[in-house]
Amino acid sequence: MRLLRTFLDKQAPLFEEGGKLEKLFPLWEATDTLLYSPCSVNTGTIHVRDGLDLKRMMGVVVFGLLPIVFMSMLNVGRQAHLAIAAGATPLENWQTGLFQALGFDFTNALWPNFVHGAIYFLPIFITCFAAGGAIEVLFSVVRKHEINEGFFVTGFLLPLTLPPTIPLWQVALGTIFGVFIGKEIFGGTGMNILNPALVSRAFLFFAYPAQISGDAPWIAANFVGVDGFSGATWLSQAASGGMDAINNLGADAWRQAFIGFIPGSMGETSTLLCIVGALVIVAAQIGSWRTIVGLTLGTFAMSFLLNQVGSDTNAMFALPFHWHIVLGGWAFGTVFMATDPVSSSFTDKGKWIYGFMTGVLVVLVRVVNPAYPEGMMLAILFMNMFAPLIDHFVVQANIKRRAARHEAVQ
Amino acid sequence: MKAAHKKALFDPLVNDNPIASQVLGICSALAVTTKLETSVVMSLAVIAVMALSNLSISVIRNFIPPSIRIIVQLTIIASLVIVTDQVLQAFVFDISKQLSVFVGLIITNCIVMGRAEAFAMQNPPVDSFLDGIGNGLGYSLILLVVGFFRELLGAGKLFGYSVMPLVTEGGWYQPNGLMVLAPGAFFLIGIFIWLLRNFKPELRES
Amino acid sequence: MKQYSNAYIIGFAAGVCLICSIVVATSAVVLKERQDLNKVLDRQKKVLIVADLLEDGHAITADEAQQLFDDNIRIRAIDIESGDFDDTVDTLTYDQRKATKDPALSRVAPANRAGITRLPLKALVYERVAGDEIELLILPIEGKGLWSTLYGFLALAPDTTTIEGLTFYEHGETPGLGGEIDNPRWKALWKGRSAYDAEGKPAITVIKGAAGPAEDDPYRVDGLSGSTLTGRGVSNLVQFWLSDDGFAPFLEKFRAERSAG
Repeated sequence: MRLLRTFLDKQAPLFEEGGKLEKLFPLWEATDTLLYSPCSVNTGTIHVRDGLDLKRMMGVVVFGLLPIVFMSMLNVGRQAHLAIAAGATPLENWQTGLFQALGFDFTNALWPNFVHGAIYFLPIFITCFAAGGAIEVLFSVVRKHEINEGFFVTGFLLPLTLPPTIPLWQVALGTIFGVFIGKEIFGGTGMNILNPALVSRAFLFFAYPAQISGDAPWIAANFVGVDGFSGATWLSQAASGGMDAINNLGADAWRQAFIGFIPGSMGETSTLLCIVGALVIVAAQIGSWRTIVGLTLGTFAMSFLLNQVGSDTNAMFALPFHWHIVLGGWAFGTVFMATDPVSSSFTDKGKWIYGFMTGVLVVLVRVVNPAYPEGMMLAILFMNMFAPLIDHFVVQANIKRRAARHEAVQ
Repeated sequence: MKAAHKKALFDPLVNDNPIASQVLGICSALAVTTKLETSVVMSLAVIAVMALSNLSISVIRNFIPPSIRIIVQLTIIASLVIVTDQVLQAFVFDISKQLSVFVGLIITNCIVMGRAEAFAMQNPPVDSFLDGIGNGLGYSLILLVVGFFRELLGAGKLFGYSVMPLVTEGGWYQPNGLMVLAPGAFFLIGIFIWLLRNFKPELRES
Repeated sequence: MKQYSNAYIIGFAAGVCLICSIVVATSAVVLKERQDLNKVLDRQKKVLIVADLLEDGHAITADEAQQLFDDNIRIRAIDIESGDFDDTVDTLTYDQRKATKDPALSRVAPANRAGITRLPLKALVYERVAGDEIELLILPIEGKGLWSTLYGFLALAPDTTTIEGLTFYEHGETPGLGGEIDNPRWKALWKGRSAYDAEGKPAITVIKGAAGPAEDDPYRVDGLSGSTLTGRGVSNLVQFWLSDDGFAPFLEKFRAERSAG
């Protein structure tokens, strides 16, 4: 260990002011602090109540996400193998080649499922980190900032919101756009108005809709022409067929959707594991339970209202609350996207309002909009923009209340 | 060329660009820039309207009663816009159809009336004429840049000629649908403003 | 500041208005002829494209278009409800889309799934002719897609069943998804399929997923991936115009006349 330390110390002058590689200081600093605690210490009086720093915060979120990461690999393989068992053919790509070269068959069993899924998930994950990391480094160098862990969680979240078959160049492009437009031009980590992972996803959604919406991309198998097999997400089946389509899925369908063995974006399918993740981040006080509960209430209120209103032409009106929360990206978005401490509201009351309104909007977009059955991404991005405004009014109201009390006392 | 003329003509291009530094005229910049061809025609239309409105208002500036000056400016600009629209319909019908209401909406473009009121009312005709052309060019610059990227990235084409053959037509380029939608123009204009202000820090608001 | 009398202000305003109105009026009058010519040319071009006589995007002069049009295309006005030709309509100036909005020239459409609220009383159909032989019937169609109203033409062979082409010249569907109805590859899929089934009912449908080749799978067309709703809109509107509320009466009379003559 000491060897490494001496090695790093020897390189230090190269990167410090006046050194040859002065411009690349952020890179050296990042390596150094990743391996060792920084040697700079605070000189003034400090006010630390809790040692919660960015690293630990990110670490907790990623810990909450890990079960979902494994689940996503398992489910991607499982869905592909189910489709192949129903008559679909494996995709003609290097992933299939690698899978067969490793000696696996397309059978629906634990290990083949997991490996097949990993072959799709990991390249997307790595591409995402490489592209996001590159742009972070670029900006740190130009701005002479230290590289921080800001991209860490985004890098985990984004792949989980994508379909398994998405082309890797799109992943890279989407990541760069999200980090650049969603975060860096606002000043970097902590300064963003919108959730960068969702900005990436929204970019891909509108730029290359064929690869991230519709029926095809959710299952890594070619099922065109297979009779009686639909690759559509259950949410979009509900959007086109209403409750009839849902009832056709079988008696056990809700439980299946809750556990997460359904087609969809890689990490969004399991409501159960999202609840586990919610417990982790709420217990660590990183995600706000107020946002989560507010969002759930909003979803309940709006879906209940629309159930009562009913519609002859739009079958989605009849979709009840308990289905809304197990379909599409609702659970994943609620737990990991809406609670993002940077882009959500900051005040406690604000979080209630922000969460509630997001819940209302999700249902509205899902039910009323004819083209986008998935409303979670749009609802959260939309409310991200309003979060500062909500905070403003909460703070103003507080000031007014206290001023009134002050006057009453005098 | 006199220095004042030069300033009137070239300042609005970068230093005082109506879209990038004054953020005026965004609406039409979103609507007509999906193709380079429509951007060019729209640019020419705006330059013509601005130059002529500045010129004519400047010529009669000493006779306009202040109490009705705004309505006089409006009347002149509106007439010029209608004439421009008629000319486009007569000579470039296809493009005029694509521009639809946005030629007519030049009248609501704040740049035109802004320059008439702020510049042409105080300055002699030649200067005003050049100022009109200059501001029109500044507006056009953004329109053309945005149109260039939107058509290139959104459809793989420039002026309707295929530059990057599309996947759907047997080529390799997967068109970027976002560029064809209005938000694509927002992003491009935003990035353009960001770059401009990074390289010319004096443009930043305090 | 100089003071102006009321008389001066009113006089000045009147002067400005007078000059402006002269300018505007002059330009409108002088350019009118050219504009009308353009409108006719525009319509001719669209028909020539769907009639396979002109390539899309190909530049063509007004005279050439006129020549091509006169040589090959015959415009006939019909009464939609009865299906009879109506030669009282001036086919050169009749604007079907304008007529659809004019209460005197249109009626409320019967209930339909194509999102059509009003129907014009008269429609213009185009025939591509070679000598006296009719080669192609071109029917104007419109209806709702996902976001927008689609306007286009359906070209049928003289047997009134075989589809020769479908094209939309105006729509506002999502680029890359529903907007792919402009894709020449997709449009080519329509050629050779059958509009009506053996019992004479409108049958052609855009399905989800892929359909077989035209000879095996004559009533179905491939869906556009990711745009089920636009596809459904296209099915609905094509079927509407092929139905008894649309051009079926005309097509029936057309067939009868041909077999008689």
